[in-house]
Amino acid sequence: MRIMRWLIVLGLAAAGGVYLMARPKPLAAAAVAELTGDAVHGEQVFWAAGCASCHMAAEAKGEAELVLSGGQRFPSDFGTFIAPNISQDVEHGIGSWTLLDLANAITRGVSPKGEHYYPALPYASYAKMEMQDVADLYAFLKTLPADPTPSQPHELGFPFNIRDSIGVWKLLFLSKNWALPGNLTPTATRGRYIAEAMAHCGECHTPRNLLGGMDTTRWLGGAPNPSGDGRIPNITPGKLAWSAADIVQYLTTGFTPDFDSVGGHMAHVVENMARLPESDRQAVAEYILAVPSVE
Amino acid sequence: MRLVLMIVAAGAALASGAFAEDEDPFADTVEIRHGLMLQMASELGKVGAMAKEEAPYDAAVAGKAAANIVAIASVLSMDQFPAGSEYQKATDSFALPAIWEKQDDFLTKIADLNTAAAAFQTAASTDLASLKTGMEGIGGACAACHKAYRQPEE
Repeated sequence: MRIMRWLIVLGLAAAGGVYLMARPKPLAAAAVAELTGDAVHGEQVFWAAGCASCHMAAEAKGEAELVLSGGQRFPSDFGTFIAPNISQDVEHGIGSWTLLDLANAITRGVSPKGEHYYPALPYASYAKMEMQDVADLYAFLKTLPADPTPSQPHELGFPFNIRDSIGVWKLLFLSKNWALPGNLTPTATRGRYIAEAMAHCGECHTPRNLLGGMDTTRWLGGAPNPSGDGRIPNITPGKLAWSAADIVQYLTTGFTPDFDSVGGHMAHVVENMARLPESDRQAVAEYILAVPSVE
Repeated sequence: MRLVLMIVAAGAALASGAFAEDEDPFADTVEIRHGLMLQMASELGKVGAMAKEEAPYDAAVAGKAAANIVAIASVLSMDQFPAGSEYQKATDSFALPAIWEKQDDFLTKIADLNTAAAAFQTAASTDLASLKTGMEGIGGACAACHKAYRQPEE
């Protein structure tokens, strides 16, 4: 009986501990206080990070890709996420955000009100971004138009509609460690930064464990398509027998080595990558070829 | 004996052909579509090898390949996409129903490909740098249509 009581006390203490540890952890204001953004470089960050691919209206083309009104739907095992408005509209977008708000959102998954965001926003990748790049991105976003379309709530079932549970997810899976650790050549190091921190390749190409975290032991080893159509391919060197030139050409034109063309969401990625300097696509190719093969 | 064998073989071929036609009225349609795309891929392979610098740049070869790309693009129309020849209705078809639901947009994308192909024909026979840039235009036009109107294969 007495043991029971102790167990209850211990259990409550443990739950309390997890609760405290799982609280949103925003950055200290000092993290960005000294930074001044460069909007020109920020545009490169914007395309590398693929912001528009998810936050523009469905099927937007050309200039309309820069109207980040949200509304695209992303089905998953946990329910359907609907991309919010991140245009400069003060009421419905992020027009009132400070640089610190943006940095918290994309590198910590924490909203200006201090709530957890769902990891459909790929902050598990963006967590590895340099704060200077976030500042540059902020400066570029400030140059984009406002749009008054209201954001729609996500369509999630229980228990995934409880945002507190995301804190536990973050404890398990939010890390600043590279999936491909160690010293790489300068080119591959740049490629790692683009692929892992900004372009968030792993979010689709790496299989997830039962709790929805990326399985870094099978990094880029292919995964089921969350939208239900087929599989996202294994792009590790053992499976994708492409040369660096093949990868660069694919990321520039969308053509595979046998001149089939890119489709699906990857077509957005190619459009984004094609806007970067060729040296960046070379860097990504070198990085991909340095990733361990996954069977 | 030989004649008999040939007649039997011809008869069997006819019968199987007729059978295949009964089974799927769009077999030829889908084969034509895939053939056009394969020919496109073959021409792109010639200029693609130059873009990747795996083959030396040759303005004449590149120009001829680009002219063929222009020709193939000019063939594409609703003629190859009769109603009903869609994914899960016609064998081996990856054509999404959206082609017929948004036919105007589909035809716009074909027109865009023709525009990109015309620009590429000039670029491909100019120099290697122009060829590389021109490839992006062709790739973008291919992807725009495949993104919207082709069922992913895997």
